[in-house]
Amino acid sequence: MATNGAGRRYRTWYAMLLRLYPRPFRERFGEEMAQTFHDLCREQEDAKRGLHGLALWIFFETSVGIVRENTIHMSQLGNTILRVALGALVALMVPLVASRVVKGWNWNAGSFVFVYVLFFATGMVYALIARKMNVWSYKAGVGVALVAGFALGWSNMVHVADSENPANLVYYSVLALGAVGAWLARLEARGLARTLFAMAATLALIAVMLPSGAPPYLARNMAIGHGVFVALLTASGLLFRHASLAGLK
Amino acid sequence: MAKKSAAHAPLTPAVLHILLALSTGERHGYAIMKQVQVDSQGKATMGPGTLYGSMGRMMEAGLIRESDKRVDPEMDDERRIYYELTGAGRAALDTELQRYRNVVAVAKGRLAHGH
Repeated sequence: MATNGAGRRYRTWYAMLLRLYPRPFRERFGEEMAQTFHDLCREQEDAKRGLHGLALWIFFETSVGIVRENTIHMSQLGNTILRVALGALVALMVPLVASRVVKGWNWNAGSFVFVYVLFFATGMVYALIARKMNVWSYKAGVGVALVAGFALGWSNMVHVADSENPANLVYYSVLALGAVGAWLARLEARGLARTLFAMAATLALIAVMLPSGAPPYLARNMAIGHGVFVALLTASGLLFRHASLAGLK
Repeated sequence: MAKKSAAHAPLTPAVLHILLALSTGERHGYAIMKQVQVDSQGKATMGPGTLYGSMGRMMEAGLIRESDKRVDPEMDDERRIYYELTGAGRAALDTELQRYRNVVAVAKGRLAHGH
């Protein structure tokens, strides 16, 4: 019985030790490792052997693994940051070149820094979310949702600045809905699918309800623009739904 | 898809032992550890840190994959994740074993001429 008590204590400590693994590794293997440690302890107990030597060795061996996995994780994270930073720099070339070519495009240095930060933040969000999942439809869903969200936020920002119509700020409610939905869904595919469908429905509702006051030729372009965004958000929702049906929570 | 380097580079002892343990069928983590002990006649002991760290990298390299989650009838009633070799994993194992055979053949020939 004393051994069983020691076994329970060691299992509790081992579960605490496993928390030191990087989160993706812990989520992937933590439960299995705890189960394997449990199996090893039970084998030792069944053979009426003491647990202390085994526990000491496993704790040391696992600690070495924790250092190794954290080192690898940090190095991968560093590489991801570098890749995203370079990708954002390449993307920044588009407005940089356009500002030289397009008449009336007069951004100051602060605007370019702001846009670079936006590109970088969007890229990092994609990299950090998508790297957690191996299902292609989930990754594609994240990519489409971010592209749609970024473009929606961007075009609205430009539109509000040009038209000086504060009513257009209502479009940000679509992005706010997405952020809250993603948070409530804890990034799980099924919840994200519902969130993206809700965003598409909200945007369609805004497009119908909000009077644009634009001349007919502009109103047609705006309707097409709204349609594209609704289609992108719906496509992203369908991709998340596919990921959910593929077994991803 | 397996990374090319993983299929052709010499394997670490841990990876070789895991591939060997899975070569005769799918197993869960604890069963792999036990099989490694049997295969190495007790000379190689692998802890959970080495086992799951190696398996994580092997899955990324496409050498092994999860096959199922089910109860092991010889153990308790807890469901366990089983792993199996992929085609790339079997190819990597074959390549590594051929490398070992070549080394042994060279060593035998050299020793035979040396005596």
